[in-house]
Amino acid sequence: MSLSSRMAVVLTTVGVLAGAFLSSIGHLTKERIALNKQREIEKAIIQVVPGTSSNQSLYEEKKLTIYGGMDEEGALLGYAIHATGAGFQDEITFMLGTNIDLTRINSLAILEQKETPGLGAKITNMESFLRYWENKDCSQPLSLRKPAASSPEELSPSEINTITGATISSEAVLNTVNSSLVKTRELKEDGKLKLEGKNAR
Amino acid sequence: MPARTASEDFTKGLWKENPVFRHLLGMCPTLAVTNAMINGLAMGLATTFVLVLSSLVVSSIKKLIPSQVRIASYIVIIATFVTVADRFLAAFFPPISKNLGPYVPLIVVNCIILERQEAFSSKNTISRSLIDALGMSLGFLIALLVLSAIREILGSGTFFGQQVLGTWFEPWIIMVLPPGAFIALGILLGLANKIEEKSKSRR
Repeated sequence: MSLSSRMAVVLTTVGVLAGAFLSSIGHLTKERIALNKQREIEKAIIQVVPGTSSNQSLYEEKKLTIYGGMDEEGALLGYAIHATGAGFQDEITFMLGTNIDLTRINSLAILEQKETPGLGAKITNMESFLRYWENKDCSQPLSLRKPAASSPEELSPSEINTITGATISSEAVLNTVNSSLVKTRELKEDGKLKLEGKNAR
Repeated sequence: MPARTASEDFTKGLWKENPVFRHLLGMCPTLAVTNAMINGLAMGLATTFVLVLSSLVVSSIKKLIPSQVRIASYIVIIATFVTVADRFLAAFFPPISKNLGPYVPLIVVNCIILERQEAFSSKNTISRSLIDALGMSLGFLIALLVLSAIREILGSGTFFGQQVLGTWFEPWIIMVLPPGAFIALGILLGLANKIEEKSKSRR
């Protein structure tokens, strides 16, 4: 066999064998990876809409998915808004829980972020950021308190404390929360956030 | 290449030809993922998996591959095992997979792996290549663990996520950021050179 045809045969064989091996590995792990993602989302929904026993995806677009959290009888308890927006270094993905009227935020959970460790990454910290999102009035756009208030009692019902040294990360979360709330409200007014199936009210 | 014993094949990766401290190979993962012990450990084990299996395959088919296409073939073989490692972590250890982010797929371009194929596995028997790969991987793993231990303890006050320094300790945040990686690695390399110098003058 000439050298060039031997080269072609070897490279093709290596490529085909590698491809076949990888496709079987991909097939074996695909389900589990999808399941992991789904589990993570379910856990976050339960966290931000307390009492949820089942959920339903009500609306989906590229960087915004809205879930309805339901109790055992299938009645809607609140919305869980899964949104992604620009952060300081990379996108920040969170799950935001609201009541049915979209006037009150239950709580916020950060799912993915690559902010600066020790500074912006504090957005995942309960003590320095997340607790300010609990039970907030969101009937009007939320705002940031800067410089940060020393105690949560000083904040108005629609104010969030800024993380000292991480204004950009705090603002990034706030802006995505506000814009996703506006969008969710629009969708709700257009009647696009209805539960489907036998659980519909 | 002079004939060597199996134990020499194994131990050279630990110090004399340590990929990180002596050869300065694989700097990208060394600097990037050593901000916590668990990440360093996962990266070291993933690299071990890829290096050992790639060396095994390359050394067993070395005679079949024409030298003109050897690099391309090695890369395909390495990339295959890297993808397996990446999928495996995503399926069974999702939090670790998330922490390491793009650095698992980037093992493909980790110089240590291609260098071992080119310098060793393509010229030696299967068993020697296996021993060499194990030694090199262990050397890399140890280097990552040393670096991430220093960075995690000083940068977060924790060791494998467990608090080891008291509440009096204000974490040096810079140590878990990129500059901390360079500072810690620089000091370790200086130390490694010093030790090497000492042991040479004694010989």
